[in-house]
Amino acid sequence: MNPFMKLTAVAALALSTGLATSGLSHAADTVKVGFIGSFASDTGRSTLRGAEIAIEELNAAGGLNGKKIVLVKADTHEDVTEGIKAYEYLAETEKVDFVISGCIDDVSLGWLPRMVEYKIPTLDTWTSNIGIIDKLVSDFDTYKMYFMNVATDEALAALYVDFGKDILAKKMGWKKTVIVQEDTAFGNAINGLVTQLLAPEAGIKVLDTIVYDTATVDFSPIFSRAVDSGADFIYLVASVNSQVVSSQYVKLQVPLAMTGVNVSALGREYWEDTGGAGGGISTLSPIPSVGFAIDDESAAFVKKYQAKYSDRPKYPHFNGFNAYFGLKQAFSAAEKAGGFGLDKWVPAMENEDLVLKKDGKLWLRYAFWKPGEKEPRTGRTYPHNIKFDISPPYDSGAPSMVVVQWYEDGKAKVVYPPKYANGEFAVPSWVKKK
Amino acid sequence: MGGMITQKSLIAWIVAWIAFAVFMLLLPQYVESGTLRLIISANFVAIFAMSWDFLSGKTGYISFGHPFLIGIGAYATAILNYRFHVPIGYSIPLAVVFTLVGGIVYFLPALRIKGTYFALVTLAFMELMYQFTQVIRPDLTGGTRGISGVQTMLVGARPNYYFTFLLMFGIAIVLWLLSRTRAGTALDAIAMNEEAVSGSGLSTTKLKLFAFLVSATVAGIGGAFYVHYQGSIAPRAIFEIDFVFKIIVSALIGGASTIVGPMLGAFFMSFLFDYLRPFLPGTERFFLFGVAALLLYVYQPKGIYQIVADLISGLRAKFAGEAGNGKAA
Amino acid sequence: MTQILIQGFLLSGLYALMAIGFTLIFSVGRVLNLAYGSYLMLGGYAYFYVSQALHMPKLLGFASAIVMGGVAGVLMYKLLVKRLAGDQVAVEISTLILAVVIQAGVVLVFNDSTKILLPIVNGVWRVGSASITFNMLAAMVASWVILAGLFVFVKRTHLGRAIQAVSMDPKGAVISGVDTDRINLITWAISGALGSTAGVFFAAYTQLNPSMWVAPLIIVVAVVIVGGIGSIVGSLIVAHIIGFMEIITTSLISAQMRGVFTMALIIGVLLLRPQGLFGRSDL
Repeated sequence: MNPFMKLTAVAALALSTGLATSGLSHAADTVKVGFIGSFASDTGRSTLRGAEIAIEELNAAGGLNGKKIVLVKADTHEDVTEGIKAYEYLAETEKVDFVISGCIDDVSLGWLPRMVEYKIPTLDTWTSNIGIIDKLVSDFDTYKMYFMNVATDEALAALYVDFGKDILAKKMGWKKTVIVQEDTAFGNAINGLVTQLLAPEAGIKVLDTIVYDTATVDFSPIFSRAVDSGADFIYLVASVNSQVVSSQYVKLQVPLAMTGVNVSALGREYWEDTGGAGGGISTLSPIPSVGFAIDDESAAFVKKYQAKYSDRPKYPHFNGFNAYFGLKQAFSAAEKAGGFGLDKWVPAMENEDLVLKKDGKLWLRYAFWKPGEKEPRTGRTYPHNIKFDISPPYDSGAPSMVVVQWYEDGKAKVVYPPKYANGEFAVPSWVKKK
Repeated sequence: MGGMITQKSLIAWIVAWIAFAVFMLLLPQYVESGTLRLIISANFVAIFAMSWDFLSGKTGYISFGHPFLIGIGAYATAILNYRFHVPIGYSIPLAVVFTLVGGIVYFLPALRIKGTYFALVTLAFMELMYQFTQVIRPDLTGGTRGISGVQTMLVGARPNYYFTFLLMFGIAIVLWLLSRTRAGTALDAIAMNEEAVSGSGLSTTKLKLFAFLVSATVAGIGGAFYVHYQGSIAPRAIFEIDFVFKIIVSALIGGASTIVGPMLGAFFMSFLFDYLRPFLPGTERFFLFGVAALLLYVYQPKGIYQIVADLISGLRAKFAGEAGNGKAA
Repeated sequence: MTQILIQGFLLSGLYALMAIGFTLIFSVGRVLNLAYGSYLMLGGYAYFYVSQALHMPKLLGFASAIVMGGVAGVLMYKLLVKRLAGDQVAVEISTLILAVVIQAGVVLVFNDSTKILLPIVNGVWRVGSASITFNMLAAMVASWVILAGLFVFVKRTHLGRAIQAVSMDPKGAVISGVDTDRINLITWAISGALGSTAGVFFAAYTQLNPSMWVAPLIIVVAVVIVGGIGSIVGSLIVAHIIGFMEIITTSLISAQMRGVFTMALIIGVLLLRPQGLFGRSDL
């Protein structure tokens, strides 16, 4: 074959795609928002839909200073490499002015360098990795276009210690625990925090830590070890394939109470997905979670959501709310700053403060920690993270997380903190009380 | 592409390479930066596919775990540069050295087994690396989350485009020249009949080692520059079946054991995939893309290279009225 | 100690069940069917759809899983293997592409959230600090029954012996009048059906997820490679070795190292004794 032909083919391909996609940049009188996330997952869809509804409302109110807001989307397929390509697509081909992300931690970490390169203001609604906030602490100017409106994992652990003190130690009388964690960075981080804080503050001793491989098929030996350890309960840290652990726990009817972090139990589909084998599981959850009583504004959002979308998830996950309120804040800041130019927009976004009230009290709050602002309990800063409140009575910000309990009849309620609780912490029926 | 090379076809090749280079270097004037980004991705896949092809396409030792080598290069430079602040000018060459060592390890099973069994061992190697990077010294490797914020070498679509194109082009030329040496043509023979080659007095072990080391060098270079382009690294992003799939399918659909084939395949696959993005943003795209790849492969396992070659020789036969004389080169 | 024994047997039973279908194809056709894990996935999802989504009786769910697997096997044989016959590498690569396509297809039809199957058999039995589900017991019993059945089938029936003949010496089989094409077709169908059946049990024990085909594939490959081609008994024994080692590693050493052991075993056996522990000496 003529080598010239071969090489021409390669070049022709390059050119044809270039010409094909060249007509996609936007007109001067629109503002483009890019959604990045996985189209096939409940997580991604929640953020996407929250963004869509927010944009509808904003356009109905006149858009951004008269300009119409257009949403474009890029699928990450929950793959890191695809995520980077998706961000590049949004930035270079679509030339978006703002990015709203419903990505998982790994994928966000992947495109973060691109965000820095393109300097596009980005709001992350699900990723809660403290490492990203740490980057904002050590190098604010480079990363300042990033905002994360879900509380970081660290804040989660602090609340858990309170839960341990008040419910597990005081109410249940438990003194010993065994930690069962996945061998991921998330598992290690939560384990570290719990081990260091739970014993001194709540008086609960960690007897043992069992680390399992995320591809584990059979958890019965792990549960046997846990039962043998003599602990009063199991503290579970599972974010990857967490359904396997919890469903085996239920199917095996492990004779030991279990609580902790179980990412699979955060959405209403948990019951349907587990075929009902999900009762007795409790977990930490960002808010608003399942079973969480919501304020009127959030309820109005849910109503619009359910009228518009008929397939799963039928109720938005917490990141859907984050996307809805967060996007509106981003545009409110843009209006005040005259656009998305970082110099004016970043401080404007930092000043955004939305308090959602229920029965006259502060119920939820969407605001951001400013750089240098110290959180009293941990003594550190969390620039551009949502302004969570981890000291009772949780009246200056929303709590970072709540504890959700699934019951064996399929209902889910919030059981901690007391301000938001509408149910009681319960031990599965097959576990005998000590 | 060994065997007799006539003066005429060699000139034809050189002209083609030069024309190609000129065309690609002028391209940024005519296309959007989004497309340039696409081509950058394709350039990297092409480098990895050529690395795979030089080993598996030529010798017939199918590597199902090529990310093992690529990952060593990538992680080595990432750790040296990010954790130990070794400048890129040193960390990249060092990474290639590490990959060469990895290449020797990768080669050892080939002394005893081949074919499917070898392929499975390489897959196991990759799986082991996946576990190791998460469990061993996560303070260096970043564990399951990897490292985000690795120093990028160049910023912006155009500079990266020129650089990665020249890198790929350079590698392609070098591999092309290597395949024309005696060692290169002997490698082609090994894939067809290893016994005959060793019978003719050549050391198949030395030849195989040669292929492995060349493949590892390219993989190491590609992996190292790749991580300094992506700006991040994670076990999930590198040691996964999808990556293996991408590399192998690119090489095979383009046309294995040719240098141009993997390049062609990488570009074709990248364009096919991203071309569909504006029309089918979601999951359908992955499905259709996979089906297209499967149909194409099953239709002609020798790849686009062969499809076009058959087309051309068919046309020749029609117009010249004589039997096509096969591949011109 | 009793726990380890019991849990070991249970997990090994599941692994043996999963490996049976793969052994068959690898022994008969020397084909590395990288889409084997997809049978498990298809079987699991078929069962889920029929029994959990449509709420039909479990037996119907099982039947649909088996049919799904058998059909998939036949299609794989006719459309891929036969077309690319002779080019072993091409067959393997095409099965890899197919596996990825099937994964994308499942995401398209079912979305990518993980689903949990209800146990096929309800109930738990407690022994010491260990819990044993009747579900796992059923899987173990099923695997022994199927293995025994397969053994009898291969050694005693006409069809079974024909399969054995093709597996040992394809050319010789043709000469003695065996229709190798028909045998291959049947073997692929059986392999698919076995894979899907195992998939239902596997999914019932772990979960349903579009990427669930990878991990079982690796386990199954380990079992067959280490056990050796052509040896059903070998697969059974090695399934137990791997199953027990996983349980022992998890209970006594460190649960994280569970996967490392399997990989090391594959590498070790392939380097030291490529024909497997119980296989024939030819490769």
